Amino acid sequence: MQNLITGLVMLFLTVSLYIVYLHKDRLKLKKALKKGSRNFLQNSIRIFAIFVIIGILQNFLSKESVGNFLLKFSGIKGILAGTITGAIMMAPVATGYPISSYLLENGATISLVSSFLASWVMIGIVSISLEIKNLGKRFTIARNLFAFISIIIIALLMEVLL
Amino acid sequence: MRNIFKEYVVEFIICAIAIILMLFNPNKVMAGLIYAVKMYISLFLMIFSIAFLSGFISEVIPPNTIAKIIGRESGWKGILIGAVFGTFMIGPSYVFYPLFRDLIEKGAGINIIATTIGAWAIKVQWIPFAVAILGWKFVLVFNLLIFIYAIASGFVVDLFTRS
Repeated sequence: MQNLITGLVMLFLTVSLYIVYLHKDRLKLKKALKKGSRNFLQNSIRIFAIFVIIGILQNFLSKESVGNFLLKFSGIKGILAGTITGAIMMAPVATGYPISSYLLENGATISLVSSFLASWVMIGIVSISLEIKNLGKRFTIARNLFAFISIIIIALLMEVLL
Repeated sequence: MRNIFKEYVVEFIICAIAIILMLFNPNKVMAGLIYAVKMYISLFLMIFSIAFLSGFISEVIPPNTIAKIIGRESGWKGILIGAVFGTFMIGPSYVFYPLFRDLIEKGAGINIIATTIGAWAIKVQWIPFAVAILGWKFVLVFNLLIFIYAIASGFVVDLFTRS
């Protein structure tokens, strides 16, 4: 539902931009339309491929198996295990909250749960090829490496603060 | 043909993996494919709009307009715009990467784009759900730390991509 509303707002914005510009320069607008349709095809293929991996991963990794795997770790190893597992998980993070509460109920540390959730939303292994293609290698490496370090710091801080 | 393959190597690999997995467990792969189709439909309007919005930005909008609002020189105002946009936008951030690419080409600051992607990790729409499961304190501190990370990420990524 939220996706639909946001999508409609964005569509409205895009269409208005095109309409407003209609009187100014039709040639440029034609170029924009051409580029837009090429973008649409290309982005659709790339994004759909990512959805396929997410869908398959979701069906092969059950909540219990992810939870039970993570429960084997604690301390700094727990933070690393949480980070790596979270980086693989890509579905909307709402599915991560029940796993997190399962972990906490079964004695996992706050730092493990924090690193798992933070990595879920901050690093996406599955979308890395898309990131490199659009934003470049340097950007991708710098951003993900810094995210990795930040996740460990956030996990440690959460343990101290909560 | 060779160009198409080169362009979509990753997608071909994903396709191959799906076919191989299909041999072992067709039900789970089918369920995964159905999930993918549902995701695509629910995000269709966003994907469609982003494609034509980036077409418009790259062909029509003059570079100085973008640079003025979210260029590197826009300072804290631009950083704040990026952080707020990232915090409140919904949908997966990677859907927006092609748009970010065109914005950078038109003069948007790399620091601001990195901050936007960083702030995307704050899922405003899920906060009520997260609070119900993990409690107020956890969610508040957690998202505050992510917000600080998002701002810092802009400076760090900018530093590493500039040299």
